[in-house]
Amino acid sequence: MTPSCVVALVGRPNAGKSSLFNAVTGGHAKVGNFPGVTVELLDAQVRALSGELIELVDLPGVYSIEGEADPESDEGHARQFLDRARDEHKPLVIAQVLDSTQLELGLGLTLELRRRGVPVIVLATQHDALVKQGFELDAAALQEALGVDVLATSARAPGIKEKVSQLLADVWRQQRKPPHGTIDVRKLARQVLLPKENAAQSFARVRRRTERLDAVLLHPLLGPLVFLGLMTALFAAVFMIAEPVTALIDLANQALGTRIEGVLGTGWLSSLLVDGVLGGAGTVLAFLPQIVILTIAMELIDASGYLARGTYLVDRALRFAGLGGRSFVPLLTAHACAVPAITSARIIRDPGQRLRTILVLPLMTCSARIPTYGLLITTFFSDRSAWFKGAMFVGLYFAGILAGLVASLVLGQTVKQTGQRRPLVLEMPPYRRPHARVVARVAWRAGTRFVKDVGSVILIAAIVLWALLTVPGPGDSHSAPPGASPRVVAMHGSLAASAGRLLEPLSKPAGFDWRLNVGLIGSFGARELMVGTMGVIFGIEGGEDDTAPLSARLREAKTATGAPAYGPATALALMAFFVLACQCMSTLAAVRRETRSLRWPLFVLAYTYAAAWVVAVVVFQAATAFGL
Amino acid sequence: MGVRRTPAVTSLDLLAPQRSALITGLRMSEREAAWLRAIGLGEGVEVTVLRRAPLGGLLHVRVSGGAELAVDRELARNVELGPGEKERP
Ligand SMILES: Nc1nc2c(ncn2[C@@H]2O[C@H](COP(=O)(O)OP(=O)(O)O)[C@@H](O)[C@H]2O)c(=O)[nH]1
Ligand SMILES: [Mg+2]
Repeated sequence: MTPSCVVALVGRPNAGKSSLFNAVTGGHAKVGNFPGVTVELLDAQVRALSGELIELVDLPGVYSIEGEADPESDEGHARQFLDRARDEHKPLVIAQVLDSTQLELGLGLTLELRRRGVPVIVLATQHDALVKQGFELDAAALQEALGVDVLATSARAPGIKEKVSQLLADVWRQQRKPPHGTIDVRKLARQVLLPKENAAQSFARVRRRTERLDAVLLHPLLGPLVFLGLMTALFAAVFMIAEPVTALIDLANQALGTRIEGVLGTGWLSSLLVDGVLGGAGTVLAFLPQIVILTIAMELIDASGYLARGTYLVDRALRFAGLGGRSFVPLLTAHACAVPAITSARIIRDPGQRLRTILVLPLMTCSARIPTYGLLITTFFSDRSAWFKGAMFVGLYFAGILAGLVASLVLGQTVKQTGQRRPLVLEMPPYRRPHARVVARVAWRAGTRFVKDVGSVILIAAIVLWALLTVPGPGDSHSAPPGASPRVVAMHGSLAASAGRLLEPLSKPAGFDWRLNVGLIGSFGARELMVGTMGVIFGIEGGEDDTAPLSARLREAKTATGAPAYGPATALALMAFFVLACQCMSTLAAVRRETRSLRWPLFVLAYTYAAAWVVAVVVFQAATAFGL
Repeated sequence: MGVRRTPAVTSLDLLAPQRSALITGLRMSEREAAWLRAIGLGEGVEVTVLRRAPLGGLLHVRVSGGAELAVDRELARNVELGPGEKERP
């Protein structure tokens, strides 16, 4: 159905647009404490009590809609939407979302919006926070002075959905053209903010809390220490908390596999289900807890206001590497997934910095690497202490960050600065207590999305790989160990095995045999598939009555001559490869979209794979020389 | 010989922590200046420096509108301040 009108939520970053959008539409816009959290336009429809269907659009933050803006930036995207709505004569209403605790700053934008010639309404949100500071907004007086409707509200006010949607419908129906003249916004802000009895104390109390926290968290020495400590704790938690849960899911996988073989016997169907589906997709599914923990941590960092502090702390170091403070949020986001991180690089105003950031983002340790790291550490370092394993995991995260900084330094020489440098100005929001419900919802969505991915893309890929490993091919099946079952002999002759063997001359110096190569080929498009492919290969190799976990099978894997196929040196080389290689089609597609060229995604692919191969060889040779 | 005076603070990067002053001019392209004004660092705004990151890092400032901003040191060099710098309000 076509809506009666389109309502654009316009406002400064952090004003509360996404929160309001969610409250009114029941939607799932990402709420954040930082500019750039909303980089894509989200829309949803709501029906007012009086019957109008309203389309609500959550725009990225803007400071101003007049003057020039970089069309590639998030601000530019919001402006393009408004300009397009005007050019296409859309039935537009502008709803300015204004943080009532920063009234004066927001009113400047109000004056610009009034000049647009379309109906405007001001939603003065975060009123609950204003009350805590000891003030109240005189909405009627503000409405009178501005000549547009004003509602003082907050995202969590009861009945907000009905109230706001009805108000929007009314504003649309009345088609009131706002007045144009200029107003002294500083004076106006002072007039309409009514102090309550102990306003001064309340205000001082709220401010003092943020100042006390900042005194520690932004301290020149303590600040960076706390920052590094937090990051370390986060990465360690991903490993330590999640490991037991992962083991449990693994156990359930095995039990299920044994049951299936009990019922179906040992035919090809059973092999498909146990080796292909459980071994492939099931093994990846076991990493659900890590993904959820990582998501929760990221959400807490964002919702608490710490993100902006992190930016303040790392700006200098990032600038040294040719990046900048604004690169911090994309870099941090990339620790969950590089794809949204590449999109969020739009918040970087400096074009050179933005390109360099995009090019090194794929080196950050995204959650798709966790399964491989987890498997390699538990397999080849199983006799080490939990601390050692945790430290290794954390080390891999920092290795990714270091690789990114080095890559940026090197790129700084080659990727020429385009246009002039744009300096950084960034809002430091007050600290806020994250809401358990919002955090839970974000975690739930990340979890279900992961399960869906495993159930669709990864499941299909695992089945295809199983088929490529099962259907006999032109390959040499003599490499199968003597006395191997017909299925293992067939796998050694399969198409996939032939491809893996073809790469052996290249991969041998890094310690990878054809089986690992099949894994690397399988994970070319999506690195999660490494573990899935290993699950399939060693599931088939393990034979019918072997229900040992994948880690045990990897440890016991043999070469054709019966020697152990892999050891810690192989594991380290493989980890190095995974730190560096951009094994992700979605990432390359995102680079292509954001740079509008084919050159840069191909460049990313080439440089990350070249570096991955070189470093893997060096690591393997060095580790072997040290007797690992 | 004239009277020795402390040199006047003329730009934001020279303003010491816990001191504030009035912005009187923006030495930059009109486009950049318009953007800064929209953010809240325009002429007539009182800025207070809360802290300075080490090694030429960012300045943490508060503007009279109530917002707190982190500002590039290089940019701050081009934000002119009027006379009458004072202890933070
Ligand atoms: N106390 C309070 N906080 C709010 C309210 N609306 C938003 N926030 C917080 O303000 C921050 C920015 O909100 P968000 O909706 O992402 O702002 P956007 O950048 O304009 O989309 C988040 O930390 C929210 O939790 C509100 O009505 N009251
Ligand atoms: Mg938003």
